Amino acid sequence: MKIPIEWLKEYIDIKKSPLEIAESFTTIGLLLDKPIEKNVLDLEHRMDRADWLGIIGCARDLATFENLKLKNPKYYDETATIVSKKNKIDVRVKDGGFVNRFYTQVFRGVTVKDSPKWLRDRLKAYGIPSINNVVDITNYVMVEMGQTLHAQDTDKMEKPEIVIRKGKNGEKITTLLGEVVEIDDSCFVLAQGNKPTVIGGIVGGRATAVDGNTKNIILDSGNYNQSQIRKSSRKMKIQNESVLRNDKFLHPNATEFAVRRATKLILELAGGKVLFNDDYYPVKHKPQKMVLRMGRVKKIGGLEIDKKKIINTLEKLEYKVLHDTADRVTVEIPYFRTDVSVEDDIVADILRMYNYNKFPRKILNTAPPTEITPDIYNFEDEIRDTLVRIGLHEHITDPLVPDGQIKLINALSKEKSALRTTIRETLLPIANTYKKHGLEKIGLFEIGKIYLTKEIRVVEVLSKDPRITLATLLHDLGIQKYQLNKKMEHCVSININTKTIGHLDIKGFTLFTKKLMGYSETTHRITTKITNRTTEDLSLIINRNEPFGPIYNKILNYDKHIVDAKVMGEYTGSEIDKDHKSVLIKISYDISHTKEIRKALIKNLKKNFGLIHRE
Amino acid sequence: MPLKQLLKTFEKDLEVSTDLDALYLKYLGRQGILTKELKSLKEKSIEEKRKLSPKLNKLKKEFDQKIKNKQNLINNTSNIDLTIPASPINTGMLHPTTQVIREMNKFFRYYGFSIAEGPEIETYEYNFGKLNLPKDHPATDLQDTLYIKGGKLLRTHTSSVEARVLTNYMPPIRVAFSGKCYRNETSTSTNTPFFHHYQGVAVDKGITIQHLMGILEEFHKFLFGNDVELRFRYKYYPEVSPGLGVDMKCTFCTGKGCSVCKHRGWIEVLGSGMIHYNTLKMCGIDPEEYTGFAFGVGLDRIVMQRFGINDIRKLYNGGMVYK
Repeated sequence: MKIPIEWLKEYIDIKKSPLEIAESFTTIGLLLDKPIEKNVLDLEHRMDRADWLGIIGCARDLATFENLKLKNPKYYDETATIVSKKNKIDVRVKDGGFVNRFYTQVFRGVTVKDSPKWLRDRLKAYGIPSINNVVDITNYVMVEMGQTLHAQDTDKMEKPEIVIRKGKNGEKITTLLGEVVEIDDSCFVLAQGNKPTVIGGIVGGRATAVDGNTKNIILDSGNYNQSQIRKSSRKMKIQNESVLRNDKFLHPNATEFAVRRATKLILELAGGKVLFNDDYYPVKHKPQKMVLRMGRVKKIGGLEIDKKKIINTLEKLEYKVLHDTADRVTVEIPYFRTDVSVEDDIVADILRMYNYNKFPRKILNTAPPTEITPDIYNFEDEIRDTLVRIGLHEHITDPLVPDGQIKLINALSKEKSALRTTIRETLLPIANTYKKHGLEKIGLFEIGKIYLTKEIRVVEVLSKDPRITLATLLHDLGIQKYQLNKKMEHCVSININTKTIGHLDIKGFTLFTKKLMGYSETTHRITTKITNRTTEDLSLIINRNEPFGPIYNKILNYDKHIVDAKVMGEYTGSEIDKDHKSVLIKISYDISHTKEIRKALIKNLKKNFGLIHRE
Repeated sequence: MPLKQLLKTFEKDLEVSTDLDALYLKYLGRQGILTKELKSLKEKSIEEKRKLSPKLNKLKKEFDQKIKNKQNLINNTSNIDLTIPASPINTGMLHPTTQVIREMNKFFRYYGFSIAEGPEIETYEYNFGKLNLPKDHPATDLQDTLYIKGGKLLRTHTSSVEARVLTNYMPPIRVAFSGKCYRNETSTSTNTPFFHHYQGVAVDKGITIQHLMGILEEFHKFLFGNDVELRFRYKYYPEVSPGLGVDMKCTFCTGKGCSVCKHRGWIEVLGSGMIHYNTLKMCGIDPEEYTGFAFGVGLDRIVMQRFGINDIRKLYNGGMVYK
C-alpha cells in the first residue's frame, strides 16, 4: 500500500518524520517495503486487512498507535431523491454467486472537466494519472477508502440497464486503456442487452467511459465474490488497483460509504444533481458482536493491561463498546474489520497497539515434555554420519523431475511436473558436476524420499566400488550377514534373511532405511572378551561365469561357528582349464576344532554346487 | 641341534633373508625348526624339560623379536621424506542444509523440543484446513499450491507437520521440524518450487507471547552471536493470532540501511505467533486451557547466508561441490 505523507496528513496531525512514521507503521503491521521516495511510503500489506487497502484505514491504526485524533473524511449524509422512472437505470442480476451488493446513484447535469490541483497532485503522488474530475474522484475514493467505484456515461448506454451476468464465450471488451480483452463464461460482466461494457470488479470498458461531453452518469460500487475476482483476473492476466482490492474480503457496507464519499466530492467538483438509483443487497450483513475478556488479554500477552487503556484502544479503532463489566467488554466489530473472527484477533489489536517490543521476554520454564522424536529420524542421521565418516559427501537434490508416477496437475514447467521415482536420477547430475571439478573419485549420497504410490524413505549412494561402501555401512550399523542376490543383468538385490532391503549395481546402491532400521544393532561390536579365532583357507573351483554370491552365502551361513568369510581372490591360469576359475576364501571360526565343520561344508558344497575343492 | 648353533644359523639366515615370512615359517611356523624342538620336549625327561624349556621359550621370543625388528627396519627405511607435507585422505561432508538443521536441532533439543516429521504429499485438511485456512481464503494466495491427481497436494509449508503433531499428541508439546516444501513458482536465484522450512511449536498451560519472543531471541543469539538485535512487529499469518513478524538488525550496516537489507536497516528473519484458537480447537486441544506458539523460518536463506551461496538453485540442483 502506497501512502503519500501529505495525503496521510489529511486525516492525522502527525509531526514525525516520514521515516519515524514508517517505523510506527511497521510495528503495527504495515512493513516499510522500499526506501522512502518523494515522501511516499510503500508499505507491505498482507491479505487480511481489507481496510488497509485505503489510506484512511492505515491512518486509523496509526492514530491509535500514536494516540492522535483521527479526522474522518466528509460524506454526503442526506437521503438522495429517488430517480424518476424515465432516468432510472435498471439493475438486474441474472447470474448469482458473484455480486453481494451493488449500490448505484445517478448524477444528472454534471460538468466534466480537469480536476483541481490538489486532487491531481494526490493521485500523482500515489501513482494514478489524472483523467477528469469524475474519474479522478472514483480513483481518489478508492485509494482513500479501499472500495472501488465506477462511473459510466448513461447517454452512451445502448439501453438504460445494467445486467450482471456471466460472460459469453467469444465476447470482447475494449478497456479504458484501449486493450481488447476476450471474455468467456468464467468471468462476470456488466452489460446492456447483449453488449458487455464492464468486466465486473476488474476493469471498465471504453464504450461507456466518462469524458468531456458527459452530462449524466451512473456511479456504482459493488461488493464481489473475491475468489471469483481472483480467478478471472488471473485467467485474463489483468492486475490493477481494482483487482488488488476486490479480491480481498471487503465488507458490503463499504460500497454505500464509498458512494456517499464520492457523491460529496462530485457535487463539490462537478456539480449536478444526485439521485438514488438502486441498492442490490439480497443478504444483509448484520454487525458482529464479540466479548473480550481481560483474562484472555493476559493469557496471550502475559501481562495485565489497564482496562481503561484497552477500551481507549478499542474505541480509537472504532470498535463500539456495548457492555463493560469488571472482567470483560462486549463490542461491536466495525464493519470494515472483516479480518476479526475470534476474540484473539481483538487481543492482537490490543497487543500490537501496546507494542510487542515493550513486552518482557521469558524462557520456557516448565518441565520438558516426553521425547517423541521418531526412531527413523535418528537412524537416518546415523547413516549420514557413517557415510560422511567413510568419505562420502551428502547432497540434497530437488525431487521435482519431468516424469514420474506421481504427476503434478498445475506445474509451471514441464521439467518439474512430477516427483522422482529414484534418487539416482537427481543425484547423478551432481556426480557429473564433481567430474567437471576433477573429483570423480568422490562418493556421494542423499537421504530422502522417492515417490511411488506413496513416499518411501531411502538412502542412495553413488561410489567407486559400491560393494565396499555397502559392506562398510552395514558393518558400521552392526549388520553382519546379508546377501546380494542377482536380480537382473548388472543388478542385485540386497537381502537380509529373506527380506529385500535395497538393491545395488555397478554405480551405487539404494537402501530402504525403514526396512534397514530393524536390523541395525551395534552393541555386539564392542567386546571385552578375547575369542580365539581360527582361520583357514578354502580353494574352490567353479564355472568361470558362475556368480559366487550364492556359494559365499552358503558358506557364511553354514554353521554358527563360522563367524566370517572373506573372498581373497579369483585365479585363472595354467593349472585350471579355461571354463573354470579358482576362488580362494578365508573362513573364520570362533572355535579351534574346525575339522568336522570343514569336512561337512565341503561335502555340502560338492553336493549342492558340484564344486571341486582344491587342497 | 645345540641351541647356540641354532641361534647362529638363525642369525645368518636373518641377515641374508629377503622373505621374512618364509624365515618365520622356517623357524617358528607349525613345522618350524624351533617349534619342532619345543614339541620334542614332550618325549624328554622332567629334568631335561626343566632345563631346556625356559631356554627354548626364551629363544622363541628372541627369534620373533629379531624378525620383527628387521621388519621395522625395512619399513622405516623406505625412503619417506618427512619434510614433504602429504595429501589428505578425503573426508565426507554433510550438505550445508543438513548442517544448519543439525545446529538448530541442537538448540531446540536443549530446550526440550523433540524433532517431528510429516509427509510431503499432504491433504488439504492438514496443509490448510486445520491451520485456519478455509477453501478460497485469500491467504491461500500467499502460497501457490502444487496439486496432484486425486485432490492431494505437495505441502506448501511444514506447518502441516504442526497440524499433525497437534492432532496426534496432547499437551505439553514441544517440537521442532524441518523439511522439504513446494510451491508453484518459477525458479529464480531466490525462489524455487522446492525449498526448506524450519519450524517450532510449543503448547502448554501458561504460554504467552513473552515465551515466544524469549525463545526466538535465544535462538538468534545461538545462531548469530550475542550481539543480535531483534524487532517484533505485527504480521498476519492465518494459522496464528496474534501474529508476529521478526526482523534482525542488519549486521552489514548496523541498521542504517544498505543493499543487503533492501535499505530497511532490518532483515526479515521469520514469522511466528500464538497458535490460532481455531487451529487448536480443530486439532482437538482445548484453547481455553492451553495456549501455544509457532514459528517458521525459510531455512535456505540462512544456509545461503552462512555458506556464501548466492543462488538457491546451486544449493540443490548441482553447481556446488565440496572439495
